[in-house]
Amino acid sequence: MRQELRSVWFWISLAVLALLCVFLVYPVARIFLASIGGPAGAGSGWSIIASDIRYQRAIANTLLLGGAVTTVSLAIGVPLAYLTARHDYPGKSVVSILPLVTLVTPEVIVAQTWLMMLGNNGLLRRWLLEAGLELPSFYGWFGLVTSMSFIYYAYAYIGTLAAIRGFDAQLEEAARSLGASPLRARLQVMVPVVLPAILASALLVFTLVVGNFALSMILGGGIDLLSVKTYQAAVSETSSNPVLQSTLASVSISIVMSMLFLQRWIVSRGRFEVVQGRGAAPTRLRGPGALALASAAGIVVAISLLPIASVVAGAFTLSRGPVMRWGQWTTANLERVLSRSPEPLWNTLSYAGAATAIAILLSAIIGYLVVRRRNPVTPLIDYVTALPLALSGTALGIGLIHAFNVGWLPLTGTAAIIVLAYVIRRLPFGLRSASSTLYNIPRSIEEASISLGVPPGRTFLRVVLPLMVPALAAAAVLTWTTTVAELSASIIVYSGGRETIPIQVFKLIEGGLMAQASAYGLVLVAVILVPIVVATRVFRIDLFSSRA
Amino acid sequence: MRIGIEDLAVAYDARRVIDGLSVAIEPGSVFTLLGPSGCGKTTLLRAIAGFVPVAAGRILFGERDVARLPAHRRNIGMVFQDYALFPDKTVFDNVAYGLRARNVAEAETRARVGEALERVGLGTLADRVPAALSGGQRQRVALVRALVIRPDVLLMDEPLSNLDTKLRHQVRETIGELQREAGITTLFVTHDQEEALAMSDRIAVMNAGRFEQVGTPAEIYRTPCSAYVADFIGAANIVDATIASACEAGGLATAETRGGRVAARCPRALPAGAVRLVLRPEDISLAPAGGGDGLAGRIARRQYLGSRTSYAIELAGGLRLSVDRSGEGHDRFAIGDTVALLLDPARCLAIAP
Repeated sequence: MRQELRSVWFWISLAVLALLCVFLVYPVARIFLASIGGPAGAGSGWSIIASDIRYQRAIANTLLLGGAVTTVSLAIGVPLAYLTARHDYPGKSVVSILPLVTLVTPEVIVAQTWLMMLGNNGLLRRWLLEAGLELPSFYGWFGLVTSMSFIYYAYAYIGTLAAIRGFDAQLEEAARSLGASPLRARLQVMVPVVLPAILASALLVFTLVVGNFALSMILGGGIDLLSVKTYQAAVSETSSNPVLQSTLASVSISIVMSMLFLQRWIVSRGRFEVVQGRGAAPTRLRGPGALALASAAGIVVAISLLPIASVVAGAFTLSRGPVMRWGQWTTANLERVLSRSPEPLWNTLSYAGAATAIAILLSAIIGYLVVRRRNPVTPLIDYVTALPLALSGTALGIGLIHAFNVGWLPLTGTAAIIVLAYVIRRLPFGLRSASSTLYNIPRSIEEASISLGVPPGRTFLRVVLPLMVPALAAAAVLTWTTTVAELSASIIVYSGGRETIPIQVFKLIEGGLMAQASAYGLVLVAVILVPIVVATRVFRIDLFSSRA
Repeated sequence: MRIGIEDLAVAYDARRVIDGLSVAIEPGSVFTLLGPSGCGKTTLLRAIAGFVPVAAGRILFGERDVARLPAHRRNIGMVFQDYALFPDKTVFDNVAYGLRARNVAEAETRARVGEALERVGLGTLADRVPAALSGGQRQRVALVRALVIRPDVLLMDEPLSNLDTKLRHQVRETIGELQREAGITTLFVTHDQEEALAMSDRIAVMNAGRFEQVGTPAEIYRTPCSAYVADFIGAANIVDATIASACEAGGLATAETRGGRVAARCPRALPAGAVRLVLRPEDISLAPAGGGDGLAGRIARRQYLGSRTSYAIELAGGLRLSVDRSGEGHDRFAIGDTVALLLDPARCLAIAP
C-alpha cells in the first residue's frame, strides 16, 4: 500500500473515482433515496405505485412490450445473420450496411417516419385507403412493436453474425464425419455455441425497449408505459412529483440492471473456447428460394432505409401547418430551419462536440488506468463506469435534475448539464473501445520504450496513445453520432433556448408540424452522416471493428 | 561492465519469489538464465531491467546501484520475446527512438542508426514499418534498437523462441557476433538448453527462484550438481543406486544398481548409502552379448535418426536406459538383440540423491 501512495497513477485513479462519484453515483443515489420518501411526510413512491393500478399496468405493459419486441427482433435479425454468414445471395453487400444505418438513425426520426407513412394522416395509409384497404390504427401496440423491432433487430443481427462468424466450421464437419446429418450437425454443434450470443443480444434488446423514450412517447397512443409515465411525472407542470418520478426511474433501473446481470451471467457461462475459428465459406444460393430470401432481406433493408428517405422527402415538401402537400416541392422548410432559427443546430453541434471530446479523453485515461495501471481503486472505477448501462436516458435526466437543481452545484438551466448527460450516457461505450484496443497493444511495447530511456508518462503519450488513435477516432465518431441524436435525457434536463435538434424535432412532431420536423431531421442526418463518411472514406477508420 | 546481484529479493504481494540471490557477471560475458517456465528467470531479468520492484538487495551496474532506479534511468538495452517493435514507426524511427530520448544530435543519430542497420544488413529496409518485415528481420531490428544506445547491459528475454529452427541458428550467430563486437555484458533468458549451451560464457540453471547451479556450459553439462540440472541440460539416464562406502571428491565409487554393479566418479564427496547416477545416453557403448564384461541388456526400442541411432535397453531388474550411438555401424543392433553395455567410469557420475 505504501508503494501505491507514491504512484502518480494511484492519485489519478482516485481523482477519476471522485469525479465519477460526484457526477454519476451521486445522481443515481439521489434517485433511489428520493423514491423512499419525501421530506414532509409525503408517502413513499413505492406506496403510490402499489395503490395505483395505472402504474402497475405501465410496468406490466413495458415488460410485455419488451418481450414482444425482443421476439420479433430475433425473428428478423437471427435468420438474416445466418443467411449473411453462411450464404451469398443477390444484394448481400447492401445488407452489410444495415447495422450502420439502423444504429445511426435517430429514433425520433424513425418515429416521425412511421407517423408520416402510417399515422392517422399518413401517406401510405391514405394510398391504401384509396385502394380500399383500411389499416388498424398505428398508435399503440401495432406501431410500437413494428417500429421498435425494425430498429432493434440490428442488435440481434450484429450479435448473432459475430457469433456465427467466430464459430469454427470444422466442428460441424467433425460432427458430420461422425455420421450426423447436416441439419443435425448444425442443431447439435453450432446452435449451443451460438446460443449464448443470441440470448445476450435478446436481453440487450429488452433493456433498450424498457428505456426507449422517443418511440414510446410518439407512437404509444393511450398505452401506459414506464418510460412515458416517468417522463410525464418529471416534466408535468401541474403535477410534477419528485417522489413518483424517482420511484418510476428506480423501477426502470432495477429492471435493466437485473437484465444486465442475467446477460453477464449467460455470457460468462456460455463462453466456450473455440480453439480455431475457421469460418465456413459462404455458399451461393440459387433459384426461386434464393430470390425469395433475397427479397425478404431486401424488404428489411428498405424499411431500415425508409426514415432517411422520408425525412429527405418531407424536408422538401410544401406544407400548410400540419398538412403536407406531397408532390409539391419547396426549399422553404430548410431555409427556415437554417437561417431563421438555426439555434438548435448550433446547440447540438456545440454540446455534442464538447461531450465527444470529454467522453473520449475520459475513456482513454480510464481505459489506460483499468487495463494497464491496476491498483486498489481501479476495480471500483470499472464497476462505476458500467452504471450508465443500467440508466435509461429518462432516469439519468431525473437523477441529474435531483442532484444539481439547487445546492452546492446548481447546473440546471446550463449547457453543462446537457453535456454531462451526453458524456455519462456514452462513457461505457467509449471506454469499451479504449480498453479493447489497449488489450491489443502488447505491454512489451511500452516496456521497450521505457527500457530505451523514455519515462512512463511520456511513453504513454509517445507510444501508447498513437496506437490508440484509430480506435479512439472510431469511438469518437460513434459518440458523436449518438450524442447528436440523444433525446431522452436531454429533454428532461434542457431549459428554454437550449433546444437541440432532436428536442426541436420532438416538439414539432407533438405540434404536428411534420415538414419543419423533417427539415430539422434532414440537418440532423447530415450532421450524423458527414463525419461517418469522412471517417470511413477519407481516414479509412473501421467503425465497427471493436463492436463485433 | 561488471554486473553484480547481491542478496536480491523480489516479492509478488507478500510472497517472495526470489530471495537472497547473489551472482557476479564478468564484463563483456554472456550470462544465461536457464530453467523451465515459472522458475523465476524472467522475473529476475525484469527485476534487473526495472519492471519488477525489488524488495531487498542490490543490483550493481559497475559501481552504480540501480535497484531503486526507475527502468528508464538504468541505461539498459532490452530485447523482448515478441520484439516489441513500435508498429506505427519505421525501422529507422524504431532504432533511433532511444537515441532521440537521450537527446543525441539528429546528425549523429542518423549516422549511428544507419551504421547499425547496415551492420545487420537492414540498410535498405530503414523506411519500412515492422509489419512489412520477416520474423528474422524484426528480430535484428529489435537487437540493434537495444544496442545502438550503447547500454550498460543487454537483457534478452527468450529472443529466439518465435523463430523457426533454421532462422534461430542464424540469429544466434548474429547475436553472438554483435555482442562480442560491442563487448556488452549480456543477460540471456531461455528455456532452451541447446541455445544456452551454444551462446553462453556461463549458465545459471534456475529452479523455484534460486540458482541450482552456476557454471560454464561444459561444467553444467559434464558435472551437473543435481538430478534436476542433469535432467534439464541434455538427455540423461538418472539411476538410483547405493554405494557401500563413503567416496571423497573426485574419487571413484562402486555403485550397486538394479541392473548390476558399475564404477562411478564422485565430483563431490558422498557418504555411504543411496546415491544417484547420471549417465548421458551418448556415453554408453554397446557391444554384442559376450563381447565384454559390461552389464547385460536387451534392445527394447530402436529409433534410426540418420547420424545416430537411439536405443532403449532393458536391463535386469526392469531398469531401462537410453543409449545413443553414432559413428560407424551405429544402427547395427535390432530390437530383441542382447547386448553388453560398457560404461566409462569417468563419464558415470554419482551425485547425492
